[in-house]
Amino acid sequence: MTRNAPLVAALATLLLAAPALAHDEAASPTHTVTGPADGYAFALAAPGTYSLPRIREAADAVLLDEFGAAHHLARLFRGRMTVMAFMYTRCGDICPVAAMRMADLQALAGEMPEAAGKLQLISVSFDPAHDTPARMGEYARHLRADDTRPPRWLFLTAPDGDAIAPVLDAYDQPVMAKADPADPFGPYSHLLRVMLIDPRGQVRNIYSADFLDPRLVLNDVLTLLRDEPAAALSR
Amino acid sequence: MFRTHAHAWLFATVSAAALAASAAAPALADETCQSPYMAKITGEEEFVYVWTLGMDGVGDGSDKVVTVDVRSGSPTFGQVIDVDSVGGQHEAHHGGLTDDRRHFWVQGLDTSMIWIFDIATDPANPKLVRTIDDFVEKSGGVAGPHGAYALPGRMMISGLSNKDGTGRTGLVEYTNDGEYIATHWMPTAEEPRGAENAAKADGYGYDARVLPRRNVMLTSSFTGLDNYMRPLGEVVNDPEAMKAFGGTMVLWDFHARTPRKVFEVPGVPLEIRWAWGENNNYAFTTTALTSEIWLIHEDENQEWHARKVGEVGDPSKMPLPVDISLSADDSTLFVDSFMDGMTRIYDVTDPFAPKLIHEKKIGAQVNMVSQSWDGDRVYYTSSLLANWDKTGADNEQFLKAYDWTGKELVPRFEIDFLAEGLGRPHLMRFGSRALYGS
Repeated sequence: MTRNAPLVAALATLLLAAPALAHDEAASPTHTVTGPADGYAFALAAPGTYSLPRIREAADAVLLDEFGAAHHLARLFRGRMTVMAFMYTRCGDICPVAAMRMADLQALAGEMPEAAGKLQLISVSFDPAHDTPARMGEYARHLRADDTRPPRWLFLTAPDGDAIAPVLDAYDQPVMAKADPADPFGPYSHLLRVMLIDPRGQVRNIYSADFLDPRLVLNDVLTLLRDEPAAALSR
Repeated sequence: MFRTHAHAWLFATVSAAALAASAAAPALADETCQSPYMAKITGEEEFVYVWTLGMDGVGDGSDKVVTVDVRSGSPTFGQVIDVDSVGGQHEAHHGGLTDDRRHFWVQGLDTSMIWIFDIATDPANPKLVRTIDDFVEKSGGVAGPHGAYALPGRMMISGLSNKDGTGRTGLVEYTNDGEYIATHWMPTAEEPRGAENAAKADGYGYDARVLPRRNVMLTSSFTGLDNYMRPLGEVVNDPEAMKAFGGTMVLWDFHARTPRKVFEVPGVPLEIRWAWGENNNYAFTTTALTSEIWLIHEDENQEWHARKVGEVGDPSKMPLPVDISLSADDSTLFVDSFMDGMTRIYDVTDPFAPKLIHEKKIGAQVNMVSQSWDGDRVYYTSSLLANWDKTGADNEQFLKAYDWTGKELVPRFEIDFLAEGLGRPHLMRFGSRALYGS
């Protein structure tokens, strides 16, 4: 039995079609999702019944999209809710699970008019030497919904390692090169931290794998949207 | 078959990676009983960081972080290799590591000071990088910062008291680099915050631990500054003071940070240890004043309960169980009791029926116990609180390390913290260079 056979079994369970349980506020009638929230002791707290205090300012950085065009993160954040994950495409560990949750989030949010246009997803690679804009584009084509309806999902990378290092520092995202660069699970160790960022560029939640459930994230998005003046949101 | 093309592609990709991987998983040898969000040490721990209370007439008299070399074969094995005094006496007590283990937070129960040490740059030589001196002000009145529990990118500080010195308290969140985020007050009968059985809520705090896969957090309860800074003899002879101790635990919706259910657990439930097994939805605690082992567990109907499952020593002699440690396989529970200086080791394979399998007197007094992830090595320290520690010859202050064979504790080394001019050793955390790469 291989070391990550349990991971494969878990992914098979997660990825195969399964009915969503009924206790999520944000469940869509057509796109069913499963996730860690299915195992929670209590039903997800309804949007607006809890608060998400400001955690930190989401730092600015200039990153490249899959076509090589440069973008300021601060400008991308403005006017939208953003769910942003640091990842790398060679990861055989937690990134695929996170990518699956992001794909589910995009699909689920796409069926919620009250959230879809006010939300975006961003995946940022911390492995720019390998994850070139073209590579990120190829990766995106496997994950992103086929249609062009919102929410959009951007795949960003940096020009080089020197450019991504301060971004990781600013977001307190630990990444460490493994002793064995040929490790079949990928050459880096990292903690999964997916961030929810509000339209003013403030981090409002940080999700580990146990809390990166599309329904929970959408409840958080809806909770924050209730307090957002319409003027602060992009069309 | 797959819900989306993304799911199908991811499954194929990760399956290929799995087939390529045939190497056995490396043994993990971290301490148990830590936040599940924390990175784990691969291989044996190399250093033990000991948060130590300063004592008048002992060394510089200041609270300090003491670093002990526990590397097998090291020329300084079992010796103090670094001392970092923070200046003054603050009732050094507990602390904790951030989720990335780059920083060690330590706190003072008396002055509500917090110090953040960098242990990543040189794990053998911690460096103070930030001091927080406005905890009470920032938190809106919480005082006595106690636990420091790693959350993703954040630290959860459980308080013991408040600005008035009583026991009503709360949980305070900070970013890993020390910026205040939020305060969550413990529920009380007057402010139940939606908790079931809130008429019994007493508002005290002590430990806070999360079981992420069930989205629950459990908190326990102690007492406020007015009591824990008084000599123990005075407190136990003051009937009014003895009424001001906690007797509840609270189960929270962790994501929403809202209390959901209050359990009556009389006699001051202190340390909380969630089981690690993926189907083991339970936690242990012990009650200091009544010497009982309690289990907080979920039943087959997903209802949560608190239940007494055992006693520690002879409760009529008030052995005062303080710290506990649950093995990584959920089979063995170590329970230290302060007054008799004993550690008792229970087989908790059946968590509803702990069976005593070994007991040993560690010293005239004993408090904290930390166990390696593989269960092979166990470390003990002696101090409870400056004004509650024994006096005279019984005021032994030590770190003692043992091998646990599964049947008995075999001494490895010990350090006399008085002879070394250090003070009263309390909380321990493990470090290793392996965490931070080359």
